[in-house]
Amino acid sequence: MTSFQSTLGEDSGIADELAQNQREISIAEFFEKNKHMLGFDSGARGLVTAVKEAVDNALDATEEAGLAPDIYVEIAEAGDYYKLIVEDNGPGITKAQLPKVFGKLLYGSRFHAREQSRGQQGIGISAAVLYSQLTSGKAAKITSRTQGSADAQYFELIIDTDTNEPEIKEARETSWDRSHGTRIELEMEANMRARQQLHDYIKHTAVVNPHARLELREPGLEEPLKFERATDQLPAETEEIRPHPHGVELGTLIKMLQATESYSVSGFLQEEFTRVGKKTADKVVDSFRDRHFGREMGWSAPDAHEDADLRAAIVDAVSGKGADATDAFADTVVDVLQNRERTTHHELRDIVDNAAAAAAEDFDKTFGETVKENAVEAAWAVLAGYDEESETDRLTADVYALVDGATSTRKDDATVTALAERLARKFGTADDYRHRTTFKQLRTYVDDAANATVEYDDATVGDTARENVTEAFWSVMQTVPDEVPKVNDVADDRDISSQLLEAMRETDILAPPTNCLSPISAELVEAGLRKEFDADFYAAATRDAEVHGGDPFIVEAGIAYGGDLKAEGSVDLLRFANRVPLVYQRGACATTDVVKRIGWRNYGLDQPGGSGMPNGPAVIMIHVASTNVPFTSESKDALANIPAIEDEIELAIREAARELKSYLNKRRSMEKRRQKQDVLGKILPQMADKVSEVTGRPRPDIDGALARIMNNVSVERELEDGTVTLIVENYSDRTEQPDITDIVSVEPQNVSDGATVVDLDGEWFVKWSPSVPSGETVKLTYDVSDDADFDINVDGVENEKLTVQA
Amino acid sequence: MSPNTQDEKAREQLIDLAAEFYDQFAGGEIPEMKLPTRTKSNIVFDEDSNVWVYGDRTSTRSANSVRGARKLLKAVYTIDFLAKQLDEDRSSTLRELYYLSESWDNEEAQFSDQDESNQLVEDLEIVSKVTREDFHMRPEESGATLMGPLELREQTRRGEREIHCQKDVGEGGYQIPNNPDTIEFLDHDIDFVLCVETGGMRDRLVENGFDEEYNVLVVHLKGQPARATRRITKRLHDELDLPVVVFTDGDPWSYRIYGSVAYGSIKSAHLSEYLATPEAEYVGIRPQDIVDYDLPTDPLADSDINALESELTDPRFQSEFWKEQIELQLDIGKKAEQQALASRGLDFVTDTYLPERLSDMGVI
Repeated sequence: MTSFQSTLGEDSGIADELAQNQREISIAEFFEKNKHMLGFDSGARGLVTAVKEAVDNALDATEEAGLAPDIYVEIAEAGDYYKLIVEDNGPGITKAQLPKVFGKLLYGSRFHAREQSRGQQGIGISAAVLYSQLTSGKAAKITSRTQGSADAQYFELIIDTDTNEPEIKEARETSWDRSHGTRIELEMEANMRARQQLHDYIKHTAVVNPHARLELREPGLEEPLKFERATDQLPAETEEIRPHPHGVELGTLIKMLQATESYSVSGFLQEEFTRVGKKTADKVVDSFRDRHFGREMGWSAPDAHEDADLRAAIVDAVSGKGADATDAFADTVVDVLQNRERTTHHELRDIVDNAAAAAAEDFDKTFGETVKENAVEAAWAVLAGYDEESETDRLTADVYALVDGATSTRKDDATVTALAERLARKFGTADDYRHRTTFKQLRTYVDDAANATVEYDDATVGDTARENVTEAFWSVMQTVPDEVPKVNDVADDRDISSQLLEAMRETDILAPPTNCLSPISAELVEAGLRKEFDADFYAAATRDAEVHGGDPFIVEAGIAYGGDLKAEGSVDLLRFANRVPLVYQRGACATTDVVKRIGWRNYGLDQPGGSGMPNGPAVIMIHVASTNVPFTSESKDALANIPAIEDEIELAIREAARELKSYLNKRRSMEKRRQKQDVLGKILPQMADKVSEVTGRPRPDIDGALARIMNNVSVERELEDGTVTLIVENYSDRTEQPDITDIVSVEPQNVSDGATVVDLDGEWFVKWSPSVPSGETVKLTYDVSDDADFDINVDGVENEKLTVQA
Repeated sequence: MSPNTQDEKAREQLIDLAAEFYDQFAGGEIPEMKLPTRTKSNIVFDEDSNVWVYGDRTSTRSANSVRGARKLLKAVYTIDFLAKQLDEDRSSTLRELYYLSESWDNEEAQFSDQDESNQLVEDLEIVSKVTREDFHMRPEESGATLMGPLELREQTRRGEREIHCQKDVGEGGYQIPNNPDTIEFLDHDIDFVLCVETGGMRDRLVENGFDEEYNVLVVHLKGQPARATRRITKRLHDELDLPVVVFTDGDPWSYRIYGSVAYGSIKSAHLSEYLATPEAEYVGIRPQDIVDYDLPTDPLADSDINALESELTDPRFQSEFWKEQIELQLDIGKKAEQQALASRGLDFVTDTYLPERLSDMGVI
């Protein structure tokens, strides 16, 4: 630095000298130096990221083509390097596109589309190619065969980091056993330390893509890890949507204005945005007009005793049209004005036009523009007359009425009058004689008048009062009919564009359509969990779509509990965005924050300290689908903390957790019942024994008491004179429908209550399904000859609730 | 009724109870035992006997729950034990019952602590309408004593003893037996009965010869009085027609001691008619005394305040006198022991305090 300093001034060429070193940085170069931003910060992670990018691409490609994905991933040791192969059965990539897709960063079909897809920026797979060539120096080997073509294309390519362009090392046709699809082979410096994450990624991908078949081979696996399809139903196809007016920013809007082919603002809105039709566009344009031109304030016509002035002024302004015509014209105008509550300048103009036309017809005179103009100005001068020197003031009375109506009744009249006078003066002395103001300007009038009143009249005019007065005026002021600027003019002026943007944001517009999203659906979330986790209980919930920043999003949550899930330690959290598992940076993710702040004790999960990750044998799964998932970084590992999305995540989890709670409650009550049964089953016989001992009587039969205590359904057999009676007693608090099957070694006769009897190799299956209301008893009977053997089986009643003595 | 037929009756009552369980079992019913609810809110004043007894509210011990079933099992085992004990004309203490349960063949029937066994015996008393003493169940020795001009005959297991409670006893006095109904009063020279809460005050009265000077029978309550103490107090009042006064510390717990002597305790309200002496009057220490005599005091602890407030809603303390005194105490926030009177000299209590108070009350 010092050397530059010393030469400064002596040599004016220093800037030129520096300029020689300043040059454009290619995006590829940039990422070469900033690998971590894309998730390639270490060999272990680089491998997982590469698999992730390749599999995401493969899934997107197959789904888009309406094919059920069949994806093969192989990792093999190759000397000092690892070789990664990913194959899919997608539609293939054309010869022309292929090098760019894999060999150029930021090249893709997704970035400009508002549609849910896994990839978004077009960085991922080319970044993997870049990482591979940087670490191993080897080219990426890509094979692709498009549907219906005879041969596959084979390319070997690297990315020229200086230009961010693919450099094809070899290109030829080859044969391939897949009828269509793409295969990429990358060699890279890597290690398998992140094996767990890799397995998680594949497994979790299978959970949220139950329609995909996945296979993973890697050196640590003895057998390939295979995930079969759980459904043939492909995710609903998504449709690209145009941006939503509430979701664009000023820069984007200006770009869109410049690019559009529309001429009018209304056309532009309807053409370029979703959810904007003619009606909505009109609303936006009106709002834009108010912001651009302001509204006009109108005034009441003079009373009858004053109207002489108004009439005289109009008559004076018209010259050379003859007394009759002039009188008739003036009368019409005065009449109309007096029938109106208030009239603005542009309304007055319409009225004069109409009256002139009527008079012209009746009297066969022509009212020229100048005449009409003069009449309008003359009438306006009276209508909105305000001149301090001549003490003309037609405004204060109207203003007073509005101010009085808008302020609280407790304001004393002097304050209201003072405020009204000052506000009237603002209008009366305004530069714009038509009394046009924007909302902001109007507020300034009110504020100035209020401040002066506060200062000089020792009164208080609070913020609420000011707001109310401003609103009262704004609501009676009229939107002007002036033409809004054309698209070109709006695009050229930042201020006008910002007025349009504000108008767009302030107008109520329907939420964006959701056919651009493809949620997994609660049903398939549950199916996915069922497929990959051996649990006792599953629940899932899908929320309705919501909007954040113009992008619609849907949150889904699923919970699996019990079974083979590990009981110790905190629960597993599976995070997904647009069907892609998020593997790294769990702690930085909004989903984690939401899970931690839910009080899981309410839902029956253990949560030390009442906050943080809950403990127990459970898996919580969260999926956020959006046209633009807000990630915390390019490597797409963690969701950003957007309140609107966090709220939906919380609601989705709670919805699923409520089901978990009722399941756990039921399980607990069943467990309690079982324990109770165990204890009482021991205590009551002992009590009966002791009672019989004390009283010296034979041991009492306690089965009835036992069944009653357990709220049980008891089935008891009585056999008397060849008649079997099965007594079904229901002590529970609701109707029970047990399926009772009695297996008899002798053919039963006179079977009661419509039982079915099936003869199976000398055994008779007698089956009833009686409905036994709470507290009632049903007797089922049949006859058998001599000594038969019985074997009874009761289904349809939980085991814990059943007492069978037969 | 000779002791033997009385034992036989008690035994029958117990077995009837077991038979009730038997019938419930046999009828397919869930065995249960109904008991009056034993809380403050369920004691009512019995106009006929002037004591507080249990009201109409009952709670049910049912085998419908694990807890209830365990209780009933223990009850049946205890009934078995008591019936056998009566059969063999033996007796045992409540504490022995607790330890004895350890020897039962069934672990579920064993008591987990002595409160449980004590409570169960009380339950059985209530449902069978037989007193504990008639089950031959004794509490641990309470060690409460009498001192005064009373001659009595006690039926001991080793024969009859005739005792004069002043002349035949040492300074410790005559120890009240567990079942005072074995005592027969022979002769006396008593003007009134003075029940004293603390041992220190009782010794002070005896040392100062207060019993001799005023012909007083001093009953040492030893804190919350045992049943035997209350029973003998009642018998002294009923049979010898003697006025009874109670002298305790000036704190909420001591008022409850007075309450159980005079009105019966919440826990044994089923025996109030047998144990309580409604005519017993309260001597002190009264909160008013703390003010009047400027006694050394301790501040009320939170638990004291809670106890006082609970007494304000206790039906036994609903008289004008008690309301006034309790409110005064809450107001001054202080409590005093009987011994606090010593701040005015060792003889103050016998020379001044008691004579003045008792003559005010019309006892002397």
